[in-house]
Amino acid sequence: MKQARQWFTGLLLLILALLLSAIGATAQDEQVVVIGHAESTDSLDPARGYTGTTAIVHRAIYETLVTFPDADASAIEPRLATSWTISEDGLVYTFTLNPAAVFSDGSPVEASDVVFSFNRLKNVQGNPSFLADPIASIEAPDAGTVVITLSAIRPSFLAELTNNAFSVSNAEVVQANGGTDAADAATADAAGAWLDANSAGSGPYILEEWDKTVRTVLVRNPNYYGEAPFFDRVIIANIPESAAQKIALESGEIDVALEITADQVGDMESNADISLFKSPGLAVHFIIMNQDESIGGPVSNPLVQRAIRLALDYSGYLDLWGGVTPGSNLAVGLLGAYSSLDGTAVTRDLDAARALLAEAGYPDGFEITLEYPDFTWQGVNMNTNAQKIQADLAEVGITVTLQPGELQVALERYRAGEAGFGYWFWGPDILDPLDLLAFLPGGKVATERAKWLTENASADLLDLINQASLATEATARVEIFGQLQRYMQENAPFAPFVQPDLTVATRASVAGYVWHPQWALDVALLSRAG
Amino acid sequence: MSFQRYLVRRLLLTLPLLLGITVVAFLIANAVPADPINANLPPNQLNNETIVRAFREKWGLDKPPVEQYFVYLGNLLRGDMGRSIKSGEPVLADIAKYLPATIELSTVGIVLGMSLGIFFGVVSAVWRNSPVDYVVRFLSLIGVSFPIFLLALLGLTILHAELRLLPGPGRLGFTASEPPTVTGLFVVDSLLASDFDTLRDALRRLILPGFVLALYLSGIIARITRSSLLEVLGQDYMRTARAKGLNERNVILRHGLSNALIPVVTVIGLMYGNLLVGSVLIERIFAWPGIGQYMFRASTSQDFPAIMGVSMLIAFIYVVVNFVVDLLYYFIDPRIRLA
Repeated sequence: MKQARQWFTGLLLLILALLLSAIGATAQDEQVVVIGHAESTDSLDPARGYTGTTAIVHRAIYETLVTFPDADASAIEPRLATSWTISEDGLVYTFTLNPAAVFSDGSPVEASDVVFSFNRLKNVQGNPSFLADPIASIEAPDAGTVVITLSAIRPSFLAELTNNAFSVSNAEVVQANGGTDAADAATADAAGAWLDANSAGSGPYILEEWDKTVRTVLVRNPNYYGEAPFFDRVIIANIPESAAQKIALESGEIDVALEITADQVGDMESNADISLFKSPGLAVHFIIMNQDESIGGPVSNPLVQRAIRLALDYSGYLDLWGGVTPGSNLAVGLLGAYSSLDGTAVTRDLDAARALLAEAGYPDGFEITLEYPDFTWQGVNMNTNAQKIQADLAEVGITVTLQPGELQVALERYRAGEAGFGYWFWGPDILDPLDLLAFLPGGKVATERAKWLTENASADLLDLINQASLATEATARVEIFGQLQRYMQENAPFAPFVQPDLTVATRASVAGYVWHPQWALDVALLSRAG
Repeated sequence: MSFQRYLVRRLLLTLPLLLGITVVAFLIANAVPADPINANLPPNQLNNETIVRAFREKWGLDKPPVEQYFVYLGNLLRGDMGRSIKSGEPVLADIAKYLPATIELSTVGIVLGMSLGIFFGVVSAVWRNSPVDYVVRFLSLIGVSFPIFLLALLGLTILHAELRLLPGPGRLGFTASEPPTVTGLFVVDSLLASDFDTLRDALRRLILPGFVLALYLSGIIARITRSSLLEVLGQDYMRTARAKGLNERNVILRHGLSNALIPVVTVIGLMYGNLLVGSVLIERIFAWPGIGQYMFRASTSQDFPAIMGVSMLIAFIYVVVNFVVDLLYYFIDPRIRLA
């Protein structure tokens, strides 16, 4: 008994000694940056993972043929390809590769690697594989030239090539680890697990470790042929709760908090140790009204749809979330988008809204149910917006009953076009104005979810849509998409009302943070201030 | 009843229970009026017939529910819980990966909560209706009714961000590497690897989430201990013990508490089961990669195999916990042995 007690006391003392022993601050010459992020991916294979997390990680470890400028999507710039030409008929793209480009193992990036990567993307049938659908064939006439032939004209193709799904990987290495680009890759490719733990790219970093749901560790690529990044090691820590990200940032355990919500900004603004970056994200929040009268009822009437657009208190949503008011369902930041920034968005006019309702036969308004998901996206609580929609429309006599639903359940009704009056948000898949066509007759959202069909559309509108899908020259595109947006402000079953700000917070000691609509964060641009 | 017979009877009773759980879990998972393709395929692919069909085939979603159930049951009997749609890994491997983190945290929580709860419960009962009693009862009421996520955020803000006394979220510092996996419990694995820096880090990071869980639990345990002990203190055998001339400490601890603990043990057992499967909020706030977070992701993405796997795990944990509690009764309560 006495012996046991002594042993127990000894054990307690040992634990105490361990707890109290000097704080093990081992000297580190290495430059490390820790990024707090709510991890969202299940794969780091460029042909399989297609999420916000893969966008960040792939930007660091792989490269694409072409890219966007550091801060926006305003132009197409070279990356692995130094130059390119487009055939007269708009179908054949010829890229010349940078002869200096090498993979992290030192071997050169060749045209055959591009062919392998793109074919693999197409044939693996992973989440991002649809991006390769427009490609009819891809060839490598020599080691430095890639020729891609499209099946149809696609003005957005270069913008799509900037997507991290088109990351070029080292064919030899991926093949050696079970990868294949053959037609049966969906079942035959076995490189997924290897690519979750390793990288085979030419980017400034290489993947050292991915401990799923814990952290991702990137280390500098010793063979990187471009300018070396500042940090030797980048740790992306999975912190799912934004409140915990904020606390870890304030205490200095992390250097960057990627998912900060609008309501957390308040007390950080006065904190000298923290820098805040706000910019409109890409998500457009909008009301959708079903054109099928048996489903939409009063809101299937175009006059009512216009009245609802005029009845919304746009500046009120900006007070709630910051950001901009989009002029249409074309996200601000993309080529030619209308917005409150230059006065091309719809503004509130209650009298005009009431007059339109009277004209439509609803002088005293009507009752309707608003379906939306009980969901918070990028810090924007959809319940809050739904309540504001309810209050806004009450001012013109429309009585709205709110019907929040579980996300997946509501999503199903929305996608099947079963809801009459709904509230959703949309983020573009490709950073190109072509994205707007989803909201026009013939496009997915208009056709399936709002029942706005081509057979009910005017010939003029169909002609404009056709022009928009073919035009490649920038000025002409701005003009055509401008006409489409003006048309939608008058006649469309949608009422886009806010494109909220995204907020990212960093320690003041971190320099070089730039938000990008495509990859959110380029870790190679980060450095220490001072 | 002999111990062996008692053991066998208890074990046999758990089998129909587990089978019933598979039916209920399967029905609930299938009753949700949403299609898993929406949660697991990107919107652009939902119209792609080939991809949607391939997805349904791959996960057996193209078969009628009854057939799906029997396929699942057959695989389960062979020890195969299927593969998670979300992670792509076998569900059993996922559980093995995430469960140790939860066990480590729950164990710290229950040990701290039990120690605090029983201590304050005894203090409160012995000095009943004194100021000490009032303070303990008030605090335990707060412990029970205070939202646990708020307690966690307050703890992190004050003890971590402001006072810098304790580390922040995560099982280890974000720049630290995990110890080589043996048990998955970082405290044990780092000890086995003689990695004392990691051990210290792991222990320090257990303190805050452990205490948050403990404060919540100790409120309930203190209240139950108090009422149970008060009841025992009024029994005849307590008077007998005092009459025998035993000192007050012995009377309360040996004769009083050991009898009063029977209902407390039941509650603690159930609470431990609760912690092992229900610390979703704490795990999210403390970026703790445990089974609670796994369950959360599985349910939001309608990952059927993972949902079924976690349901089976929950059932299994409760069965084991109840079984252990029943065994404890066998030793604590002579009436069971005699029955």
